Amino acid sequence: MNVIENLRMALGSLMAHKMRSILTMLGIIIGVGAVIIVVAIGQGGEAMLKEQFSGAGNTVELLFQPPEEEMEANPNLLSQAPFKQEDIRALEGIQGVKKVVATSSEFSSARFREKTVDASVTGMNNGYLEVNGLKVKKGRNFSSSDFLSGRRVGLISHSAKEELFEGRSPVGEIIRIANQPVEVIGVLEKPSGLFAFGSVEVYLPSQTWRSVYGKSEYSQVALQADSADELKAVGEEAAKLLNNMHGTKESYQVINIEEITEGIGQVTRIMTMIIGSIAGISLFVGGIGVMNIMLVSVTERTREIGIRMALGATRGQVMTQFLIESITLTLVGGIIGIFSGWGIASLVSAFAGWPSLVSWQVVVGGLLFSMIIGIIFGLLPANKASKLDPIDSLRYE
Amino acid sequence: MIELESVSKTYTVGKENVHVLNDVSLTISQGEFVAIMGPSGSGKSTLMNIVGCLDKPSAGSYFLGGENVSGYKDAELARVRNQSIGFVFQQFHLLPRLSALKNVELPMIYAGIKKEERMERARKALEKVALADRMDHLPNALSGGQKQRVAIARAIVNSPKLILADEPTGALDTKTSTSIMELFRELNEEGTTLIVVTHEPEVAEYAERTILVRDGVVLHGDARARREKL
Repeated sequence: MNVIENLRMALGSLMAHKMRSILTMLGIIIGVGAVIIVVAIGQGGEAMLKEQFSGAGNTVELLFQPPEEEMEANPNLLSQAPFKQEDIRALEGIQGVKKVVATSSEFSSARFREKTVDASVTGMNNGYLEVNGLKVKKGRNFSSSDFLSGRRVGLISHSAKEELFEGRSPVGEIIRIANQPVEVIGVLEKPSGLFAFGSVEVYLPSQTWRSVYGKSEYSQVALQADSADELKAVGEEAAKLLNNMHGTKESYQVINIEEITEGIGQVTRIMTMIIGSIAGISLFVGGIGVMNIMLVSVTERTREIGIRMALGATRGQVMTQFLIESITLTLVGGIIGIFSGWGIASLVSAFAGWPSLVSWQVVVGGLLFSMIIGIIFGLLPANKASKLDPIDSLRYE
Repeated sequence: MIELESVSKTYTVGKENVHVLNDVSLTISQGEFVAIMGPSGSGKSTLMNIVGCLDKPSAGSYFLGGENVSGYKDAELARVRNQSIGFVFQQFHLLPRLSALKNVELPMIYAGIKKEERMERARKALEKVALADRMDHLPNALSGGQKQRVAIARAIVNSPKLILADEPTGALDTKTSTSIMELFRELNEEGTTLIVVTHEPEVAEYAERTILVRDGVVLHGDARARREKL
């Protein structure tokens, strides 16, 4: 009497009561499905948030945020420009730094013919678009000569195009930023994702930005390291260097990515725990349902058990038969649950633009777990079946 | 073949002990065709259950084919039932959701025989009971006589030394009963030991010897068939 024979018998008796089997499986399906959905969306979301906060391509941001003591000691600190041209050059000299992405931004009006909107105007150096995952959809990207010569050219965001040009092609048109003419050479791709609302933005090469606004400092600096492992060390090194150069102690800081990602992890862990315990309860209730229906099945099939025993089935074989039947019930439920959970998670991510991640570990875990439920809740009924007296069972009507 | 030595069976109902079988000694030789008769409540069912290894005696010993099975554990008794005994019941006791062929296959599944051999032997057994054309029918699609033939095919498929039939014709009409009993006689002529429990004299007539059970005691006096032979 091997496992395959038992499995065939188990499937046969489950198929004989289709409705009952499906209803019994429902608890397991919902439980396993919920676990899959939660884990898939949780893991996908965590991965996405972490990526957003740590920035694509191994970057850290440097902050100028003087503590109170230093502000008292030097009240002029805030009126100074936080990042100067020579700071950038010094940062570029640190070992392990691949790129220094320095940006300056200002909020001002952008005008095309009679239409005026408020736009955030960012001046940047080469590498900003790539590091931030921005792509040019129409027109062309900045060339290196644009950066070097400070030509009056700019890229606009999708929303800026909608607001200013209302369906016309903006490439080659002249817009006025703070009343200075700038030629639009390209439009950026519309951002995707749940929280990505497009804002009106204009991007200029740093040189151009400086000549438009007459300022020569940067407001934000991000470092790209050669590798993710060096990121922390490089960031700290950079903050130290800047503090030395400006005669401050702790005014320059690195945004602590680990702390942020740790925080995000905490939130998703708590969420996973809450929904996981709901799924756990559902699985427990489902398991009791399985036990209940298996007990009914044992009673109904008392005569069958007696016949099998008369034909030479040992108590162990009868027990195995019913145990495999309950495992089959929960396993089939588990498989259906995994597929429906996977499907729902994919649907959610398709609509919300939130990635889902179904790892093989979760699938294998779900299968094993549903089997274990089958064993735990099948033991009692199977034991009851095996303890039946063959003579009484044969007489059972 | 079968030797019962002062076998007793006692049940405890409440505080009272009920003696269902009282010091029964019985010998049935290889190849015999024996009928067990007796009124209901006489203990013949209990006797049959003990002979069929479905029940254990409270006292005494039972030898089946030289083996002392009275001290066997449940698992060993299951093996003896599987290998050495074929059962035929009044209510046929076929599994309703399995085809005739699958029903006949069952004892061989518990014997651990491979699929191909099982199919082969199940077919042969069904051919032997003249049901070759009904193999894939479910029990519900078969007549009473056909059901009992399937049960007989199932009983002989593991080539047991002993076939135990409990009122095999109790649910059948006279004509069908005759054909079933003819089948039993055929099997007996091939060397299988046959024990039939019945209360119908016509059925008992097929046997070479009739054992009477009354009030838990076996009355050996009657041996009509044997007398005729002498």
